[in-house]
Amino acid sequence: MACIGSGRLCARVEKLCLLGQVTQIRRKTNYARLKQFTTQPSARTFVQSCQYGSMRTQAPGPQPQVAMDPYLLLANDLKDIYTDIRRELELNTSQPELSRIATYYFDGQGKALRPMVTVLMSRAVNCHQLPGKSLLLPSQREVAMISEMIHTASLLHDDVIDQADFRRGKPSVNALWSQKKVAMAGDFILAVASMMIARLHNDSVTKILSQVLQDLVQGEFMQLGSKETENERFAHYLTKTYRKTASLIANSVKATAVLAGADEPLSELCFQYGRNVGLAFQLVDDLLDFVSSTAAMGKPAAADLRLGLATAPVLFACEKYPELNPMIMRRFQEPGDVEHAFELVHRSRGLEQTQFLARQHVAEASRLASSLAESPYQKALQVVGDFVINRMK
Amino acid sequence: MFRWGTAGVVFVRQFSVLSSREGCPAIGSYTFQRRKNGDYAVTEKRYYSTKLAHNQKPDWNKAVSEAEKIVGYPTSFLSLRWLLSDEIANVALHLRKLVGSNHPLLKTAKSLLYNGRNNMQAWGLIVLLISKAAGHNNVQEMEEDKAAGVLHSQRALAEVTEMIRTSHLVHKGLVNIYPGMYAEQVELNDLTFGNKIALLSGDYLLANSCVELASLQNQDLVELMSSAVRDLSEGEFLGRRDQQNNPLPSPDEVKDAKGDWTRRNVLSAGSLLGKSCQGTLKLAGHSRELQEQGYLFGKHLALAWQACLDLEPFRTSSQYTPGSAFNLTSAPVLFHLQHDHSLFEEIEKGIDSVENVDYEKIHSTVMDGPGFELTKNLQKEHSQQAMEVLSVFQESDAQTALRNIIVAMGDL
Repeated sequence: MACIGSGRLCARVEKLCLLGQVTQIRRKTNYARLKQFTTQPSARTFVQSCQYGSMRTQAPGPQPQVAMDPYLLLANDLKDIYTDIRRELELNTSQPELSRIATYYFDGQGKALRPMVTVLMSRAVNCHQLPGKSLLLPSQREVAMISEMIHTASLLHDDVIDQADFRRGKPSVNALWSQKKVAMAGDFILAVASMMIARLHNDSVTKILSQVLQDLVQGEFMQLGSKETENERFAHYLTKTYRKTASLIANSVKATAVLAGADEPLSELCFQYGRNVGLAFQLVDDLLDFVSSTAAMGKPAAADLRLGLATAPVLFACEKYPELNPMIMRRFQEPGDVEHAFELVHRSRGLEQTQFLARQHVAEASRLASSLAESPYQKALQVVGDFVINRMK
Repeated sequence: MFRWGTAGVVFVRQFSVLSSREGCPAIGSYTFQRRKNGDYAVTEKRYYSTKLAHNQKPDWNKAVSEAEKIVGYPTSFLSLRWLLSDEIANVALHLRKLVGSNHPLLKTAKSLLYNGRNNMQAWGLIVLLISKAAGHNNVQEMEEDKAAGVLHSQRALAEVTEMIRTSHLVHKGLVNIYPGMYAEQVELNDLTFGNKIALLSGDYLLANSCVELASLQNQDLVELMSSAVRDLSEGEFLGRRDQQNNPLPSPDEVKDAKGDWTRRNVLSAGSLLGKSCQGTLKLAGHSRELQEQGYLFGKHLALAWQACLDLEPFRTSSQYTPGSAFNLTSAPVLFHLQHDHSLFEEIEKGIDSVENVDYEKIHSTVMDGPGFELTKNLQKEHSQQAMEVLSVFQESDAQTALRNIIVAMGDL
């Protein structure tokens, strides 16, 4: 686990070097980032969570820093998650090819953000319910697996549509298999996840998690067309972001709280925590699309713009540069639109504003987590936001 | 919001009535004309077949419409609720953009609209009929749909069955796009866009079926129906496939033609109908044994139905156009291949695309062999097994209706 931790750091440093090559306009934002990266990650997160005012006392125990890295804290819980998912999928088919496609992305190379947050919340809520009893319930671990499976099923379906050849540093499924088979494999993962949900034998959990599927599809539909006026646009964007990204995290942690026997206010608190973390995560994702997509990274810059999508940085930039409006309306279809919009976003304060908004959601998540009973897991929940904000991929 | 002009295309599927046997015109079919403003005007055309009256055997169409009366409403209205949504209106809007391209999604949509008996649109109906035939135990009055004699939950399950099936058909209708396949960028864009709409529409139905199932608060049922979705997707990976994922027989598998055919069709049809019938008996509080019988009924009925569809191109009375394509893994072809391997020479030409085989040749070869008769026996076998299950229920309208459907389907 330690090596993963340092690998993570190395990756950051590497990308940091790449950042040095980006244009001058971005230097201001990047400077803020650079400052963060010069401090040790554990120290940094510690300092920042103090800033949110949620941690009045020092963390107990001799090694508070270690407890601060959620991935280290949950090393044991998370280490077999992918193996178990693969086994579950393999058990459900006798077709080797289906098995290969379905398990392709469960190679342990992903961030496992969803299982991590889910397990963290499970243990934190368990402690909250019964002080000192942080033991992870098998059903809660299942929810963590299910959340990653739902996420991956949606990745597979995204890959059918997007023509990208690479994902997570390896050929994407659509580069290796035909569209029909990938679509079917996505349905298969979803079906197996649904069976796992059913086996938890909890009516509310099933309802909560099936709502996620509906949200995901509705989010995709919202992304298809937008005719809303300028005023409605940001609300539309936020709703879409909730449905496409935050709903899965929010409802997974809610489900896990319900399994811990949480009452309505507590499970709602967990839901709101997940919602805020999810929104921040997507905001940062949208931001990175403008910042870290340099030619050096081998990924096309402004992928979202090319897909015709106006994300938060563009919507913020609109305030200063109204000429972006017609471009948004025509989904950046005309020659030069993408480049022009990209340029305007960087000239505006759109990126800063997006990061500010993401920070607000992270602060809110942290505030919510601070009302749970104190435990290493509860403290780690407060730190998750920093991972989200400072991530580079 | 729901609008006729945009959602009408999909909406009309609900009004289409199964066309009758022997290729006579549909009793009620609907056509739409495109108006100048781009909206569709839906007009109803009614043909009354004279054949119907003279037909001695229970007519397919009659059997279905009689059965629909028994459950109280046309089952084609079953899935009406999921159509009343922004998303579907949105899909319909996008479908219009695809008109003129040759994305198979249009064909799928069309077949859902007009559908011959090639689509088992009556699956929801079967689920309702078996529900009614079995009755229910210890259920509160509130939960019953008195007019139809089934539980609200059973009706919802019938809806879920149709949604799952439609979703699968729509996903199956994606196009596999290969580099260099299309010279024209426009054509490529159309197909990519079509794939996107097809994928989203299928996902929409799948997600809605999950929500609907969750609302029934029966976790065993959720697991059962999810496993049916799993089976459908697994079915698409069986055996050899051409570039568009159309199935091809292989010499190894046809050594046991019947087993091969059964494996394929249990996954792609029998499982869903079987598990739906099993599930509806579960909802009604019946014993595990009876639930098992329900599964067998649905499975055998679906297989009989599939055998019946497989026979279609080979019937003397059929309107089969010589040379047009049919399923190369249909029962008559598989049975023929089992006894005559030489036909594989022709089949192998379809390894890239099933369109490359000489269907006229395969058709006439199969016609001269035992494939047709063996398939008829297969259909009879499954029909009989379905009938046997029916006899465990008490006499009722619903039971008779199911018998009539089975009789109408085959020439028992």
